[in-house]
Amino acid sequence: MTETYAVELQDVVKQFGNVVAVNHVSLQIRDGEFFSLLGPSGCGKTTTLRMIAGFEMPTSGAIYIQGDRQGYRPANKRPVNTVFQNYALFPHMTVAENIAFGMEMRKTPKDEVKRRVAEVLDMVRLGQMANRKPKQLSGGQQQRIALARALVNRPEVLLLDEPLGALDLKLRKAMQIELKALQEDVGITFIYVTHDQEEALTMSDRIAVMNNGVVHQVGDPETIYEHPADRFVADFIGETNFIPVKVVSLAPEIVVELGSGEKVTAGWVEEGLSVGDRAVLSIRPEKMDLLELNEKPSNPSKDTALVNGKVTQLVYVGTDTRHTVALGDGTEVVVRLQNIYIGEEPWEIGEDAIVTWNAAHARILKE
Amino acid sequence: MSVPARFQSNDRWQQIKSKMGGWSLTTYGILAFAFLYLPILILVIFSFNDARSVSKWAGFTFDWYGKMFKDGQILLSIWNSLFLAIVSTIISTVLGTLAALGLERYRFRGKTAVDSMFYLPVIIPDIAMAIMLLLFFNMSGIGFTPWKVNFFGARLAVPYSVIIGHVAFNTSFVAIVVRARLAQMDRTLEEAASDLYANAWQTFRRVTLPMLMPGIVGGALLAFTLSLDDFVITFFTSGAGFNTLPVRVFGMIKKGVTPKINAVSTLMLAVSLTLVVISILLSRRSGDGDSVQMGF
Repeated sequence: MTETYAVELQDVVKQFGNVVAVNHVSLQIRDGEFFSLLGPSGCGKTTTLRMIAGFEMPTSGAIYIQGDRQGYRPANKRPVNTVFQNYALFPHMTVAENIAFGMEMRKTPKDEVKRRVAEVLDMVRLGQMANRKPKQLSGGQQQRIALARALVNRPEVLLLDEPLGALDLKLRKAMQIELKALQEDVGITFIYVTHDQEEALTMSDRIAVMNNGVVHQVGDPETIYEHPADRFVADFIGETNFIPVKVVSLAPEIVVELGSGEKVTAGWVEEGLSVGDRAVLSIRPEKMDLLELNEKPSNPSKDTALVNGKVTQLVYVGTDTRHTVALGDGTEVVVRLQNIYIGEEPWEIGEDAIVTWNAAHARILKE
Repeated sequence: MSVPARFQSNDRWQQIKSKMGGWSLTTYGILAFAFLYLPILILVIFSFNDARSVSKWAGFTFDWYGKMFKDGQILLSIWNSLFLAIVSTIISTVLGTLAALGLERYRFRGKTAVDSMFYLPVIIPDIAMAIMLLLFFNMSGIGFTPWKVNFFGARLAVPYSVIIGHVAFNTSFVAIVVRARLAQMDRTLEEAASDLYANAWQTFRRVTLPMLMPGIVGGALLAFTLSLDDFVITFFTSGAGFNTLPVRVFGMIKKGVTPKINAVSTLMLAVSLTLVVISILLSRRSGDGDSVQMGF
């Protein structure tokens, strides 16, 4: 028997006129998972969420919630609830009335409604706000009420559409932690739409990175960051260097040639690349180090890349310093060095240096 | 550091200019207000004049108001006006609201055409509309058949043609006001309702309608006022023997102007003003009512 997922999308396509918003997306979201849809605006993440909620119907493909095919089932008949980006609290109702709305529609007994409203208000620590109108609350409070209004219905899956987008940075950080703790507490599957990669990395169990209606990679935060599947993911998540290279060999080890003619090995190569192809070597700035010319190891391991360069720019950013280094062919790379060295002479602009990294951190991706 | 002299003098000149601008604007404002409100003020003052003259002051009296309320013809016309306004407002508010929902929420073939047709009764001259309606009632055979009704003890005979005529122009006004409100409304509120298990009717009843209420009430008050004040369309579509208050006043003027007409007009003014104030207060209470004030 196959596993039943909280939400499963099978080859889902959504077209608006001639525009393909979601292009053959398949996802399996597990029970109790904090799953993020991450991508730039217009990548189809919100449309995907809206199709799960039932606000949009797929042009083709199928959506299952707890193994149950949704088809054209309208939003009000789906076992999911949504937290909207603008909260969408009913302005003519009090906080308590807002929260009770879903239960009222499902004809929950009055005393139970009352009890659960009080409970959930307690959970989001806004018990004393029950009789206020949404307009009388701050943004952060409204956000928590929107969350309470959805959670009180104990949905199979909670859908969140950039729920923290309207909050200021400090509040957003606090809410990220609160949301994650809440999710672990209630054990409900969260599907979380965001364009903020840091938010996704911090909160998610797994992330689907989307662009132009296509899912580029699905994985846990560490996999997404450390092992990006393609150039888009590497570029969108965190900071990365792309060094233009030519593939020299794929086996027994992956070897590429830099513009300067220097050859280095790499830990991984994207499928579809063959010897002689032009590609990019992707490596994170914090995975690299700089050596003085006289520090060059005499007998380096073959996994250690050693490439000549010249320091062209230094930017001090507190925890570390960003060293921009021009390689032999003029390609500039950023090397982030933590400011932990005492008494060591800092690098100077114009100084020759050897850029070094471990081959395992270098990934060869299509251009 | 001191400012160079030439800039100082320039500043002074600017000051004088802006001051003069301020004065002339104030004067202009006063004149404009006088032009608009002085006739109304005179009308009201002379409704209390203790003489038959409407131009020479001869002391204060409530006589004309007493006479007005003893005049059976005037009383009948007031009842006619009220009945007509209430009935046409109810019908046109329902029709106009439905039309607004349809136009704002659904896409269909020829929507643009229907859309612009709704503005037609607002922009075409009353007289053109009145003649059109008159021809329509004659040709369709509806004629001036009256609706005989006992309205708070007053025996009225209101021609269906007048009611239809009032509904015809009021529906457009209601539709426009309600649409303005609808356009401002956040659609995600309706999505939120359906997300919280409300079906289409519950969503409309619990979310859309309450949110629209200020617009609907505003549209209804506008329709009521327009119906109460209408002369041209009523005059053309009522046939002989049916008078609303404005039509009655017109009839009285033909026999000479007395302060009784001032009294009647003052009464109409007071009612209209009250309605406007109510609508503004209602829209204030609902928080944002720009759409409601539209049209006044």
